[in-house]
Order: sequence, then structure tokens, then C-alpha cells
Amino acid sequence: MGIDTNMMNYLEASMRAESTRQRVIANNIANMNTPGFRRSDIDFQDALSKAIGSGEKVEKHEMEPDLFQPMATALKSNGNDVHLESEVGEMVKNSLRHKTFMMLLKKKYSQYKLAMGK
Amino acid sequence: MNIDGSMFGSLDIAISGLKAYGKQMEAISSNVANSRTTDAGDGQPYRRIEAIFKAQKGGIGGVEISELMEDMSDFEMILATPGDPRANADGYIAMPNVNMAVETASLMQASRAYQANAAILKRYQTMVKTSLELLQA
Repeated sequence: MGIDTNMMNYLEASMRAESTRQRVIANNIANMNTPGFRRSDIDFQDALSKAIGSGEKVEKHEMEPDLFQPMATALKSNGNDVHLESEVGEMVKNSLRHKTFMMLLKKKYSQYKLAMGK
Repeated sequence: MNIDGSMFGSLDIAISGLKAYGKQMEAISSNVANSRTTDAGDGQPYRRIEAIFKAQKGGIGGVEISELMEDMSDFEMILATPGDPRANADGYIAMPNVNMAVETASLMQASRAYQANAAILKRYQTMVKTSLELLQA
């Protein structure tokens, strides 16, 4: 049971991270034409793999995504590095991930239901 | 499973295609906009720009615009209206080497390719959704 609740914690934290990333991407797109704006991204992989690797019960607040500026994409003439296509791609990835986690969570719940004989 | 590495490979490739063809469209619109520009800043007429595509890596991978090259073919010499200050001693003006028919054709190609990449992106989403449906039931 302990492992199961941990898994659900991971899924929940991941889904929360996805919604944060969605906000970050929306902010990037909104600032697509802001001179000097550099795109932001979040890093959740690290926190999650640490949490999973530790093998102990992990509190939700310990799995928080890190906000950072990659500074990796090519600059446009106005010192801005947001490319609409890339952001749309990130958004698609994000929504697919979100859907995956949601389905897993749903599966988990249906297993519980089954165990309860409903 | 590495979600960002392997699972989204074709998605990243499609995005690189969108970016590259978007950039090519930029080059084409620059050519069209400057098709009558007799001074590109250096006193010379505007030279048409060609976007050069390059595979991002060998084997399966995305595409990128490696450089925007200037077309070094000859300028088009047209007969100037009498009194035009830009005319040379023989009464001709050097015009940009932009050919509208060529640009229109490239534009068509670029926008079709852009659409195709967008279609791949969409189709890939449906594919992932199909896989996820296996979790149901």
C-alpha cells in the first residue's frame, strides 16, 4: 500500500508540474514580442528522480519544479529568444504528458475500486 | 521510458520542420518585399536570399536552416524612364535579381511543407492518444 500511495504522490506532483509548465509556456508566448525577454522553462525531472531514487516516503512539497531560463535558443533581432513553433511543441508535449499521467491515475483508481468490489 | 528523448522524437522533428519552413517563408517575403529595391544599403540593388536547409544530424533527425545565402546571379537591367536619377550612362537601372514567379512557387512549396509538418504533429498526438486508450478498460 505504501508504494502505491507513493506512486500516486508522484503522479499528482507530476501533474502539478505540468500545469506549472503550461503557465510558463503561456507566459513565454505572451512575451513573444517583448524585447530582451528570454524564455523560461521548468525542471521537474531532477526533483522527481531524486524523490523516486530515495525510496522513502516523500512529501509533496519536496517535489517542486524549478523555474529557470535555459538561455539556449537563438536570439532574434530584438534580443528575444521565444520561437512560437517551439513553444507550441512544448505545449503539445506537455498536454500529452498530462494525459498520460491522468490515465495512469485513473487506472490506479479503477484498481482500487476493483479491490473494493465495486 | 524516456519521455522527452525517444517518445517525442518525431514531435521534435516536426517542430524543427515548422521552424525551418517558417524561416524560409521569412526569406521569401523579404525577397518579395524588396523586389523593386534599388538600394540595399550599400548602393547596390537588393540581392535575393535563398534559405539553405541542412539535416540536424545524420540518420533520423530534424532540419534546420544552416544559412541564408545571397543569390549572386546578375541583376536585371531595365530601361529607365527618362530623367530617372538612378539611371546609368546608358540609361539603364539595375534591379534586384528577384523573379516573382520563382518566389511565388517557393512560397507555395514552403507553406505546403509547413502544413505537412503541422499535420505530422497532429497525427502524432492522435497516435499517443491511441496508445493511452490501451490503459482504459
